[in-house]
Amino acid sequence: MRRFTAIARTAAIETMSQPLSAILFPVAVLAIHILPAFQYHRFGAAGRLARETGLSSLFVFGLFFAVPAVVRGIGRELETGTAAAALALGVSRSLYFLARLTGTFAVFLLFLFAVAAATALSSFSCLKASAIVSQAGVVRVWGPAILVGVAGSLAPFGVAALLNRFANRRFCLWTCLLTVLFQLPGLALLEDASPLRVMAPALSALAAACLVYVAMAGALATRLKSNGVTACVVAAVLAGFLSPVKFLAPDMRVFWLEEGSTSAGGPIVAGVALVALWLLIGGISMERKELE
Amino acid sequence: MAEENVIELKGVEKTFRDFWMRPVAEAVRGLDLEVARGDVFGLIGPNGSGKSTTIKMILGLIRPTKGTVRLFGLDPRAKAARARLGYLPELSHLHSFLTAEETVLYYAGLSGMKRTEARRRMLGLLEELKLAHVRRRTVGGFSKGMARRVAIAAALVSSPELLILDEPTSGLDPIGTREVKELIARLAAGGMTVLLTSHQLFDVQDICNRVAVISEGRKVGGGVVADIVASAQDKRHALEEYFEARLNLQKGGA
Repeated sequence: MRRFTAIARTAAIETMSQPLSAILFPVAVLAIHILPAFQYHRFGAAGRLARETGLSSLFVFGLFFAVPAVVRGIGRELETGTAAAALALGVSRSLYFLARLTGTFAVFLLFLFAVAAATALSSFSCLKASAIVSQAGVVRVWGPAILVGVAGSLAPFGVAALLNRFANRRFCLWTCLLTVLFQLPGLALLEDASPLRVMAPALSALAAACLVYVAMAGALATRLKSNGVTACVVAAVLAGFLSPVKFLAPDMRVFWLEEGSTSAGGPIVAGVALVALWLLIGGISMERKELE
Repeated sequence: MAEENVIELKGVEKTFRDFWMRPVAEAVRGLDLEVARGDVFGLIGPNGSGKSTTIKMILGLIRPTKGTVRLFGLDPRAKAARARLGYLPELSHLHSFLTAEETVLYYAGLSGMKRTEARRRMLGLLEELKLAHVRRRTVGGFSKGMARRVAIAAALVSSPELLILDEPTSGLDPIGTREVKELIARLAAGGMTVLLTSHQLFDVQDICNRVAVISEGRKVGGGVVADIVASAQDKRHALEEYFEARLNLQKGGA
């Protein structure tokens, strides 16, 4: 267990220490707050627009930081010999693979929390704004939500910079952690849990789909170079959108539509099964790999 | 009483194959090797002679095509065997975002050490390797020599019975090299078995008690360093002379 924890913890720190993560965490949150605020005036259906922005941000930004983190973590460590130094100490190969993915999964779940909180506040804010429009007849955003949302995505940079300067803390890692932490005041603004309840099935289903792609990237990284893994994952995502792929990758046509995934039991179960399948493939591949 | 062999290779061969299973390179050919408990054993040979491949087979990272490899009398992939060794790879690709102390603690965690014991050992090692003052700095900003010393600390943190060092002094300045040599001598005096590879034959002559010369995957010489030095005319360059003589003999015989 100590070995598993050591590897998973290091993988999580590594994932959050990447500049890409430090940019994508706050940018995703900012996008969720800003985009619906601009658009709902023209297209209506404010709450739904906010939720779909949240789902898009989870999918696009989530894959953008998690897949490269896994490819860099597993693939590069195998190439450079960092993995060999760990495996030479008696760490089982499948444990190494599972622990590294667990670390990245944990960071993805933190990202999921930030996105869920931001989306809940954003959709609630859009409904509030709609009420203001109908009462006052003029277009206005709901100030408190925008203030908390924008501050929650920009303040982490400033606080992380101060922590780095005066307490020697890692800037990128703390930007990610503070982005998650700074979503809590936003949750306090919600009048009830209904914004979270409405989107929970869709968000869970899409998170499961993302984890399938991350597990797939991890399994492929045990055999292919980083470019090859990226190409395969991109192809799998496109195939998921264009045709019903059911055996190795999620059918994204189901996952993507909010209506299709509001009762998301099926996609979540399928996602979990596919994650397990890719973990198994990756574990076997690691066990059989020759670390030349 | 016969000495216990910590490492034993018998008739080991390794052929690398491409995707279509066609042989690409015969890295090791019929290698026999024995490293006894307490030895400081030097594996020397020119570039591409099969030293690193041999070490990787001893570590269980790759499987031999033929022959047997035993580590502490067990299969090298057995957890019980690998839990007793420390390993310093040829290139120290450490996690650049971890600090020196986090790096050593990470490897302690991989060895299954308890946190308090790992911390005590980490502080001692960083002090011994003159890294205590930079222990909270990330290793990504370290010079090659400093990173090498962190990697050595990581290899030693679990107090292994067998230490495998691939080019331990690579990237170190003369003072760093001397300190590492003194450290290896101290470890050996404490009963640790050491297997190392190096191109620095002076260093090998200074710290090893036995050597094996390998070339093109075959063992072409070896023996007790004191005997090699005793039979050499130029004592200072004894191992270098021996090394060249064995390689020339092999080329002449080929």
